[in-house]
Amino acid sequence: MPERNVVVVGGGLTKFAAERVDASVRDLVVEAVLLAVEDAGVDLRQVEHGLTSYESDHFNRQMTLGAILHDHLGLVPKPNLRVEGGGATGALALRTAYAYLKSGLCDSIIVYGGETNGKSVTSATAQQLFALSSDADWEMMVGGTYTAYYAAMIREHMRLYGTTERQFAHIAVKNRGNARYNPIAQKPMTLTIDDVLNSAPVAEPYKLLDCSLLSDGAAAVILATEAWAAGHSTQWGERPVVHFRATGCGTDTMRLGDRPFPYPGLAHFRGKREAARQAYKMAGLTDPFRQIDVAELYDSYSGVELQAYEDLGFCEYGQAGPLAESGRFDLGGELPVNPSGGLLGRGAPVGATGLAQAIEIMLQLRGEANPRRQVPQARRGLTDTHAGTGTHCVVNIFERRD
Amino acid sequence: MAEVTNKLKQLTVADPLGRTPDPWADFREIELIALEWSQTYRHSLGKYSRFFLELENGRFLATRCPTCQKVWSPPRPLCPDDLTITVWTELSGRGQVVSFSVLHYAPAMLAFLERPYVLAYVKLAGADTLFAHLLQNYGDVSKVHYGLPVQVVYNEGPVDHPIMLMAFEPRL
Repeated sequence: MPERNVVVVGGGLTKFAAERVDASVRDLVVEAVLLAVEDAGVDLRQVEHGLTSYESDHFNRQMTLGAILHDHLGLVPKPNLRVEGGGATGALALRTAYAYLKSGLCDSIIVYGGETNGKSVTSATAQQLFALSSDADWEMMVGGTYTAYYAAMIREHMRLYGTTERQFAHIAVKNRGNARYNPIAQKPMTLTIDDVLNSAPVAEPYKLLDCSLLSDGAAAVILATEAWAAGHSTQWGERPVVHFRATGCGTDTMRLGDRPFPYPGLAHFRGKREAARQAYKMAGLTDPFRQIDVAELYDSYSGVELQAYEDLGFCEYGQAGPLAESGRFDLGGELPVNPSGGLLGRGAPVGATGLAQAIEIMLQLRGEANPRRQVPQARRGLTDTHAGTGTHCVVNIFERRD
Repeated sequence: MAEVTNKLKQLTVADPLGRTPDPWADFREIELIALEWSQTYRHSLGKYSRFFLELENGRFLATRCPTCQKVWSPPRPLCPDDLTITVWTELSGRGQVVSFSVLHYAPAMLAFLERPYVLAYVKLAGADTLFAHLLQNYGDVSKVHYGLPVQVVYNEGPVDHPIMLMAFEPRL
């Protein structure tokens, strides 16, 4: 039996915005799917399976959203499923699609998802709803918010390694700057380190500009076996093929305080390290920093990207801050991270976030990103996504084949 | 003219992607409405209940695993390291701050909290995990630091969730 190589046939992204008053969540997903179908050069009616990627029934005020989306895309009576993994939802949906394709359950699948996290509820209610995805009896009811949990994590990193607020402000400046070259990005900004340091405190040491965005938006990705894509995509042979090469998944305790010391303690993402270990093994990587050309990391807060560099093996523990400041992960650096703008600049409608990361890598590997953010000669890209405080982590790796 | 009491806005929008021609040109008239819904849960605290009930008596309980002797605080009825059912054990409530955050915004359900407030991760003496709760009466925020000695303090309520019968305070 020939190897069932999984390829990214195409992807589509709506405009991400603080409020898409013009669209309900189903409108957003329909828009994204039409764009994905156009990009993939396939007939949606030929696609065999649906996969719905969304996190919250509360923001969208609709349970079983997958059934509605599948219906409105004309995919009935084909099979469908919904995948949820908090912040990691989109990447977990792609990992699930990979397994469906590899197993032979189907030869083609469309993964679509979105969220209306922007202004469908007040900011305090949004914080409340996200806090419900921590341990509701033990963390949330004592005043916990995700900003505060992440703040406690970076404070510990600062204590252990001397990481500074300036160093994580660099990430906020970098990612919002990169977003200037991404037309669908929610918050492109030209910032200075001082702008970030002087922005209003939210949960210290995190300030407003260290925090990712609440967004409305949707995304869709069409995956298939190489053989199906060759037979169904009008784009086949017209451009480089993007292979979905490897996937890893790791987890950690729900509550930060239950994690063992010294590792991961409060400062590190153990689940991320495990997800990366599996993905690197599957892809045959031994030196990820040199072997990966471009990466989209889960910058839910600026300091989280620093912590991720370390657990993904891009640098030694404690080195992330100084290396980020040196420009190593900027556009034009040795390993550009979050050329799309990331969660800080592009935006983060949860169910679409992981899909948007994969679409950015797809564009980068095809050489089709805006020239101002295109990483030259990018041949291998990585996405890193997590739920909670690194409670559920997914790392996916994509490769270009000419 | 018919009336929609919860109508917030009626407007005409442009294509967010600025395409010409706009593929959705016929669908740019938009109505925005408000929807309200609230509910009360009957919420069992289950096998964790004794922890909460003892807070009413000013006692702080944790659970110990009879197999590995690890003390879980917050308690866990099952030790996930050994899959052994744990036993209750009382702690002094004294401990030290490991990390913390100063919050300037509260989630909707805790809008009553005075801001800023401090959420602290505390290593309690005799426990193997960290317990997160509010740190009160810390004076100046610059006095909060790694290693700050703290203790559990109790109040008489009224509170809506029993976890709020306790908090941490600096230990003098």
